[in-house]
Order: sequence, then C-alpha cells, then structure tokens
Amino acid sequence: MEITTDKNDKAENGEKITGLFEAAGVVYLDFGNCRFVKHGDFLGAEISVGEAKSYGRVWLHRSFPYELPENYISVQDADGEEIGLIRSLDSYGEEQKALIGAELARKYYTPKIERILSLKETHGTSFWKCLTDAGELSFTLQDTSRSISKVGGDAAVITDMFGNRYRIASLKGLDKKSMRKLEIYL
Amino acid sequence: MSEEKTIAEIGFDLDRSDGVRRVEGRVRFFGDRIELSQDGETSVIPAGDISEYRLTRGVGSVMLEAVQNGEYILICRATMEYAEILGICQKRMNAYLRGSAPKKEWLSRSAGVCPKCHRPLPPGSSRCPRCAPKKQYLRRLWKMAKPYRGLIYASVLIYFMVAGLNMLAPYVNRILVDDYIKAETLPVFSQYVIVVAMLLLVQLASRLLTMLRSYLQAVSANKVIVMMRSVTFEKVERMSLSKVSKRTSGELMNRITHDTADIQQFISSETGTAIENILMLAGISVLLFTYDWRLALMVLMPAPLVILSQRLMWNFLRSRYGRQWTLGARSNTVLHDIFSGIRVVKAFGMEKAEHKRYDDVIYAESRTQADNETLFAVISPVTSFLMGLGEFFLLYFVGNRILDGTMTLGEMQQFSSYVAMIYGPLRWMSGLPRRLSRTMTAVAKVFDVIDEENDVTDKADAVDTDARGVIDIENVSFGYESSSEVLKNINLSIKPGEMIGIVGRSGVGKSTLINLIMRLYDPDDGVIKLDGVDLRDIKQESLRHNMGVVLQETMLFGGTLYQNIAYAKPDASPEEVINAAKLAGVHKFAVRLPDGYDTVIGEKGYTLSGGERQRVAIARALLHDPRILILDEATSSLDTETEKDIQDALQKLIAGRTTIAIAHRLSTLRNATRLVVLDRGTVAEVGTHSELMKKKGLYYELVMAQRQMSKMTKESA
Repeated sequence: MEITTDKNDKAENGEKITGLFEAAGVVYLDFGNCRFVKHGDFLGAEISVGEAKSYGRVWLHRSFPYELPENYISVQDADGEEIGLIRSLDSYGEEQKALIGAELARKYYTPKIERILSLKETHGTSFWKCLTDAGELSFTLQDTSRSISKVGGDAAVITDMFGNRYRIASLKGLDKKSMRKLEIYL
Repeated sequence: MSEEKTIAEIGFDLDRSDGVRRVEGRVRFFGDRIELSQDGETSVIPAGDISEYRLTRGVGSVMLEAVQNGEYILICRATMEYAEILGICQKRMNAYLRGSAPKKEWLSRSAGVCPKCHRPLPPGSSRCPRCAPKKQYLRRLWKMAKPYRGLIYASVLIYFMVAGLNMLAPYVNRILVDDYIKAETLPVFSQYVIVVAMLLLVQLASRLLTMLRSYLQAVSANKVIVMMRSVTFEKVERMSLSKVSKRTSGELMNRITHDTADIQQFISSETGTAIENILMLAGISVLLFTYDWRLALMVLMPAPLVILSQRLMWNFLRSRYGRQWTLGARSNTVLHDIFSGIRVVKAFGMEKAEHKRYDDVIYAESRTQADNETLFAVISPVTSFLMGLGEFFLLYFVGNRILDGTMTLGEMQQFSSYVAMIYGPLRWMSGLPRRLSRTMTAVAKVFDVIDEENDVTDKADAVDTDARGVIDIENVSFGYESSSEVLKNINLSIKPGEMIGIVGRSGVGKSTLINLIMRLYDPDDGVIKLDGVDLRDIKQESLRHNMGVVLQETMLFGGTLYQNIAYAKPDASPEEVINAAKLAGVHKFAVRLPDGYDTVIGEKGYTLSGGERQRVAIARALLHDPRILILDEATSSLDTETEKDIQDALQKLIAGRTTIAIAHRLSTLRNATRLVVLDRGTVAEVGTHSELMKKKGLYYELVMAQRQMSKMTKESA
C-alpha cells in the first residue's frame, strides 16, 4: 500500500472539474494543527481547524490496522464524528508519538505471533499455543479456516472464538515448522 | 466489610494503561465505591457521582468505563474473553443506577463460564469447545435411531451370515481340490457335482444376502437422517432471532443438508463395512491360528508394519490433501462471487481481472492436486509391496510343507485365500480413524445446533391471549450485543385502537422496539405487557397470532400469488384473499396477469416489482386480521401517490386496531394518534403532530428537514 497525496483531476479540454479530494473534503491533521494531551484516563486533543478548539476525550481509529498502522488515523469526538485524519505520525515528536501509541496499543490488542508451538484440530475446532510478543498465549478457533484471513500480500490475521485478534506480520518470515502447521488453512 | 453486599464482581486480564501487559485482576462494585485488585495490589474508585457505565469495544480488547460528572473514567480493561461478561456487568450496574431490581442470572458469578473448565464460553453458545461431551454423540445418535433399531439389528445379522458364507467358500474349495481334483482314487462324479453346486450356492447366497443388507441399510440410514434433519430444522426454526443471527444462513444450511449427509454416508456405508471387516478379521484370525499358529504369525508379521506405514503416510498426506480441499472450496467461492456480482463485473468492465482471479485459484488447485497425485503414485506401490511381503513368507514356508507332505495343495489354497481375505480388513482399519474423525466432526456440528439453548422460550404455564391491544412498555432496556444498549429505559403505554407512529433518525432503535413488542427478542431489563400480562408469560404462537406485520423487506415464498397472500391463513377462502388484495392494491395488477392469482411468484416464477411485492406483504397482513398491526416502513418503497392510496385503504382497517408504525416519510404518519420520537435509544418526545410542532423540538426539526427536502425536489422538477 502506498500513501497517496492530493491531486486535482483535470478534464481533457483543460476545463477544471471538481476532483475527488476536493469534493470529499477530508480534514488532515498533523502536529501543526492537532496536539494530544492526557485527559484523565484517556486521550484529549487541542485541534485548530478553522478555529482552535480544546476537545475533551477523543477516540482514535486506525484506517488500515495491519498494513498502515501509523497512517490515516481517524480522530473522532464523543458523537463519533471525525474531527480529522492524521495522514502520518511523522510530524509528531517522541513524546506525542508515545501518547498516541499508548492509546492505540490499548485499543488494538493484537499480539503478534512469532512461533506456533502447537496446533491441534478436532472436529473443526482448533487449539493453538503460540509464542507472541505478549508472551505465550493459548487460544481456540471454532471454524478454523474461516477464522484465518490473509491481509494484503504477506500478513495474516487470526480471530479466535471470542473475537481476539492475533497477527502474523509476515508469512514468509515465519519459521518452517510453524508454517507447516498453518499452511493447510491458508 | 465482608458482609457488605457486592452488586457485581468480575475478573479482567489486561493492564489499564500498558497496552499489552496481561494481569490477573478482579473488580468489585459496591454502592459507594469500586474496588480494584490487580496482581495483588488494590485500589478504590469512589462511585458516588457515576451516572452511567459504558463498554468500549476495541480490537481484541474491551474497556469498561464510567461517566462521572460528565467525564469518562476507566475502570478496567480486558481481552475479548471477558467482553460478554463485562457487558452483563455493565447492564447490571446501569440497572442498579436506575434503581431497578437486578435480574437473577446477573447475580451468578458463573454466567458465561464453562461449568467444567471455568474458561469463558464462546459468545452466544452454551457449549464449551474443550469440554463438549464428544464421546456421547455416538450414543445419542444411537438413541435417536431407536425406532429403526429393528432394521439395524436385521442388517447386522445378515452381516454375520455373509461373513460366515465368505469364510465357508475357501473350505469348500479345499475339499474340491484335495478330495476330487487331486484325489488319489477316482472321485464319484455325482458327489463332485454336489460340491461344485455347493460352491455356487455359497456364492449365490452371499450375493443375495449382501443385496438385502444394502437395502436394509440404505433404508435405515435414510430414516435416521430424515429424522435428524427434521429435528435440526425444527430447532433452527425455534431458535430466537438473536441466536439465529449469530450464525450465517449458509452455515445453518450446511448443518442441515451437508453435515447430516456426511452422517448418512457414514451410517449407510461405513458402519456396514466396519461390522463386515471386524467380523472377517476376527473370524479369519481364529481360523488361521487354530489351523497353524506359527504359520498364522508368519503371515501376520508384516501387518503392524503395514498399518504403521499407512498411518505415517496419512499424516504426511493429510496436510497436503487438506490444502487441496481448501483450494477447491476457494475456487467455488470465487466462482460464486463473480456470478452473483456479474452486473457489477460487467458494469466496471472487470471481466479480464475476474477471469485472472479465477484462473489463479484453479491453477493453484490443480498444481496441488498434481503434486499430491504424483506423491500418492510413488507411495502407494511401496505400501502395497510391504503388504504383499506376508505372501512371500507364506509361499516359502507353505511350499516347504507341501514338499514335506505335511500339507495338501487344497489346504494351501484355503490358507492363502484366508490370508488374502485378512489383508482387506487390515488395510481398512488403518484408514478408520480418519473417516471416523470426519463423521464425528459432522455429528458434533449437528449436535451443536440441536443442543443450543433457546433463550426466548415459552414458559410451562404460558397462557393464550385474545388481545384487546393494550401494550405497556415499562423500563425496557435492550442491546443486541451485550456491550451496547440500543434502547435505554423506555416507558410507553399504548391504548387499544391507538395508532402510534415511531419516528427518529436511522439507527435510533425504532425497529428494535418493534422486535421487542413482537417478542423476537426479550428485553434485558424491564417488561413489556400485553393486556397486563408479561409477554414472557404468553404462548408465542398465540401472541404472534394476534399480530399482523408488514416489514420493510418483503419476503415472498415460492408459490402462487394466492398462496403468498394466504401464507398466515392457509384456509382463507378465495373471496377473503380477493378482499385483502383489493384493500392492499394487489387486486388491480393481479387480475391483469395472464394467470391471475394463480401466477407463480418467488425465485422461480414471475418477478414482481418492489412496490407490488410490498403490496402483497400488506395484503398478507390484512388477511391475517390481527388485533395489533405492525408496520415497519411498510410503504416506504412505494411512490407517494401509491402510498396515499394504500394509506387510505389502511386507514379503514386501522380503525379499532392497535397500530404501531415506523416511517421515515413523516407524512405517512399524519393519521397517528400519538407520535413517539426516539433519540439515542430513549423516548425524547411524545404527542400528536400539532403538539410536537408547537414544542419545536426534535420532531419539529425532522419535519422541517423533510419539508425542505420535498420543496427542493418540487422546485427542481
């Protein structure tokens, strides 16, 4: 996936027509117009789009949680209205990044699978034991092949019977033994 | 402190601020405070000013939050395992804040947890995947087959007979060879004929019995499966909407058609083969060992090797065949995708891209298939060879015996026939676990549906109702998923004969309220009463009989127009149907159709337009002649002109009946006695059109917005 930037569509005879970007009117946020602050247990924001406004709590949603986790982060208010979209976290300094990162990590609890230690299937239900970045975890899939989906080219997401998600960042990067266990479901 | 009563107590497993840290925590709610303990450390949150509890669903995590003085505070965070139970807790705490009595099941600490292993249960299921009593399934299947056991016993008996006959054949053969063909004295010709005839008779009897057995088996398997399908189907039909909507219709179809077919296959062919093979194996082993145990051992020596090698081979091949199967399924899915979306494919000119997509999957499938077949072609001769090793041993030792004169040629033939016969069952047994596991998967899935606990059930002492049409909604709260409340503390009282219009923005809970009144779901908190009786105390059949429903999505079943209108009243006279049709505006187009009311509609038949379908649905509800009429966007797909016609017709009918109507087009509801405006799951305003217009509240805004809209369309027209 690539990060796109603004461009205006031009009709062939040179007459300017309203471009998609212009028509959609997405508000983009960066360090210049949006700063995050701690707001009690949650994240608040000072945003100046048009006029400066101090929001209480704001909600962050990743647009592409697996492929572009650091880009296109939607910032929403209590009514679920989008205040703006952070195209990239690049403009933020370490401290702000840490604040945003902590909030995102709290919402997106998707341990990354490093190794599949054991995988047993009986009657369509499968029992997994994996080494992840959150330690050794066991989980159960009720409909195994339907619970594993490939995302993008090389990543995969596994959803267990409760709705917990586990990521495999790179299928190519997975060791052979793990791959052999996983392969038949892909 | 310990005697003080907790309102709720639950566990959680993620740290409040550290995104990935797993913890062991418990949270206890008291009237004035919330006590948290996490990994042995405790803290207290004062709960005095809390006005509401909320559950925020993240991805792979949930957060229980509270609103205190207008600000959010975080109480605890957990993985999805706790989502259901945290939702129950949230509801309980909100009910506590509203002052309503807690429901009994909320008090139990074991809600949503497997009673055996104490792990949380999968959402919406009462079956723990780890502890499900799988071994009992076969016993239960056997129980279900009770009416057909006679048939089954008969076929088992025939198996014994066939096995006996099969074992007799080599014996007769030996007599033939030793006593007649290789006999030292010239045999009596008539006796020779008798022996040959015997051989023929044995063969004939064995074949005939096999035929009879197959027939019996097919019949019994068929009957068991028809029953199983019917039981499963009935179960699915009776399931509450919330349980049904948790499974896709494809999945439910699979349970009823596909999985039961797997079981049928197993009963009709596998069990038979199993009995046959086990009998043969036992019988021949006994024969061989009593004849000469050393020879028998010799012959059977490679058997464990064969079984082992087959197991190994299967383990090796399993993942490869699994992959082939998955790819095959995927190519079907892709095909289905493309064909069902063929209009879009063509409209965007994507034929080539879709062609490539399909090619890619079928090539992948064919590559795996070719690989597998090559591999199989290499492996299977090797196992066959191994299996044949026994015969070489036999040849050597038996050959020696014959030369010694301790064995006759006929005996050798008999012996080697038995040996050949014993390898079939052995080979079969090595593949048994695989086939058994496939069937057990199907059995488990079917029983999973059959065992599903129904949450909207009739009480044993449920009563019939002959509704007058008084509906009381008292403190009702409800959410489809445990985390989000769609309706919050709704209070509404509807008098008989009233027409209530429910208005509000999309997603505000209008249809949900109607679903609760129809008792497609039960409220989480509060009660709905019909004529003063809790809906949960009324027989569902009787309740639905008093309600006529026209929904936004019209469902027409395969059948004639007449049958579709008479759906809920199959014994309706043609005249009743015509009258209902006339009122709903069906009659006008129905008589113009070449086949009139006998026109076959639905999937295979004549295609009705959206408006026509809607009118058929209205006619269906009218024919039902209910005391309570429910219209959920009943006329939304009609143009304003036609809507007016039908509205006028409906007006005559509505008189005297309690009517509850939802409509986006507010003009539809102009005749309503009262309008109920919903906003964010609560009742915002109640009153007549003019009262609410004077109030200049939410309703006024909605009306103004629509007027603006229609003015604009008029101007542009």
